[in-house]
Amino acid sequence: MRRADQIGAVLLLLFGVAYAATAAKSYTYWGANGPGSGFFPFWLGVAMAILATLFLIGATRSPGPGEAWLPSGHGLIRLAAVVGATVLFVVLLPILGMTLATALFLLGLLRFLEGHAWPVTLGVAVVTAVGNWAIFAWWLQVPFPIGVLGF
Amino acid sequence: MDVFANLALGFSIALTPFNIFLAMVGVVIGTLIGALPGIGPVSGVALLLPLTFGMPPTSGIIMLAALYAGTMYGGTITSVLINTPGESASVVTCIDGYQMALQGRAGPALGMAAIGSFVAGTVGVVLLMLMSPLLARWALSFGPPETFALMLLGLTTVTGLTGQHALKGYISMVLGLMLSMAGFDIISGDPRYTGGIAEMLDGVDFLPVAIGLFGMGEVLAGAEEAASGQILKARYGLRDVWPTATDWARSRWAIVRGTVLGFVVGTLPGAGPTVASFLAYTVEKKVSRHPEEFGHGAIEGVAGPEAANNAATSGAMVPMLTLGIPGSATTAVMLGGLMMWGLRPGPLLFEKNPDFVWGLIASQYVANAMLLILNIAFIPLFVRALRLPYSILMPLIVIFCITGAYSQNNKIWDVGQMLVFGVLGYGMKQLGYSPAALTLALVIGPLAERALRQSLILSNSGLLILFQRPISAVLTVMALAAVAVPVTRALRGALARRARPAAT
Repeated sequence: MRRADQIGAVLLLLFGVAYAATAAKSYTYWGANGPGSGFFPFWLGVAMAILATLFLIGATRSPGPGEAWLPSGHGLIRLAAVVGATVLFVVLLPILGMTLATALFLLGLLRFLEGHAWPVTLGVAVVTAVGNWAIFAWWLQVPFPIGVLGF
Repeated sequence: MDVFANLALGFSIALTPFNIFLAMVGVVIGTLIGALPGIGPVSGVALLLPLTFGMPPTSGIIMLAALYAGTMYGGTITSVLINTPGESASVVTCIDGYQMALQGRAGPALGMAAIGSFVAGTVGVVLLMLMSPLLARWALSFGPPETFALMLLGLTTVTGLTGQHALKGYISMVLGLMLSMAGFDIISGDPRYTGGIAEMLDGVDFLPVAIGLFGMGEVLAGAEEAASGQILKARYGLRDVWPTATDWARSRWAIVRGTVLGFVVGTLPGAGPTVASFLAYTVEKKVSRHPEEFGHGAIEGVAGPEAANNAATSGAMVPMLTLGIPGSATTAVMLGGLMMWGLRPGPLLFEKNPDFVWGLIASQYVANAMLLILNIAFIPLFVRALRLPYSILMPLIVIFCITGAYSQNNKIWDVGQMLVFGVLGYGMKQLGYSPAALTLALVIGPLAERALRQSLILSNSGLLILFQRPISAVLTVMALAAVAVPVTRALRGALARRARPAAT
């Protein structure tokens, strides 16, 4: 975790500096009536830069590498699979439509990641896709994305 | 009296069939969410928020507040039966609750917790009802400096208390404030930090962030392992659950102490049910005549903390409703909801939206009564729900996150935002940053900025105005102290570490 903290601190430091610089350069620090739109953001950027510097010093001085923060092996694969499947879901959402994408997402995760039997998988996938549609599209009148298949 | 007229108005709203139905939905889902490890009250409120868009705000808050109370009851079930906390406010219940279950006394442990929660929850609502109008009236006199000082206090105390790494907490908080600046500036109308993206003109949307950090983020944290605990078998007939005379005698005062302590801690900005339950446990152990029994199934160790966490949920609503400052992560998400419904949280809420405030208060009595019945008579149902494998639950929550994030504006952009914050939330959780502090700052950010800028316009001595008015001076000093305490502790720790290698 020490390495992750150091990297995080450097990124936050850069972010803070860039943020304060943007505020100072592009927004009004002090207008005719008092503090402008750049005033608060500027000091926020400065605060972040200071905090990140303290954090960097602290992290570098910490005695050991600390615990791992990301899982390894099987855990990492599972994590990546869930994130990947969700990204795929979002990308395919406009093409497949909400209902079909939901069913396919559940199908993929339940059958291939979790190894549930086909009846369980299909049951959960269909019930959820329909239930989700019933709650949001039918009851709450949310216009779901419609896929190329027309639903 | 004023209160009774208002309460009558409240009940006339809370007791409509639709609102009773929503309170019922809230308590059942709340108890389930509380019982299921991995998702707690914050995730619950964030996930159910999209469902409230089609409702009047009063109905929405009735459902969410009922859910919040329900999670406190539900968390106990998991703590006692599996020795895994269902949510963080029931962590401390594991200690003696699980020991009681091992001794075959799971029934009385759950029964006493439910009764204690009911007493504390109800007394908490009474206190909420009596205190809030007074506090709101007092807060009406607040000008920008007081408001800013109050927000500063809320931000610093929440941050100081969450997580072990104070510095990471403050970083999370400042990050939240920075994100909240994106979009149009409320005073000048200038667009800021949009990166030239049209969608960013409205700023970082609260709902996708909350769902991402607390829904998706929690799912990812749970995804890496398929956790399974052994559920202890127990009997849940009414006679098995009802505490014995000895249990009553031992728990009576624990519940009273827990209620008072929990409510007070809950009202403090920053300290919510989790802190309250830990404090209550410590107090019970201190005042007990047989402290050696703690850790081996002392029923006070269940009754006290469980009363405290329920009283704290009512307490946490006091600053949210009267000052517009959330007292806990869950109320921060609720406050975000209030703003999305178009309400302006703060002292004016009591004058402008009495039906909202009093409907909520009255519905909390109803919700607590429902929860008592539910958690005495229907325990087996919730135990059965615990058997639902996480491997099925997890993808379902993802679907709910996606649909919920989409449903506010019907934009896939929001779903993308939700996913980004889901991954960020996971990383923050793993690395010890505080998603709660970020969320709170995101909600408060624009309000704090406006209060600060208005204060500076009023002032002819810059920031010193914060110290020139008595109320804001006290609040500012408290806020600075809240920063100073963890920082000095961290510095002392760092110095000690540096000194040690020299000594050895």
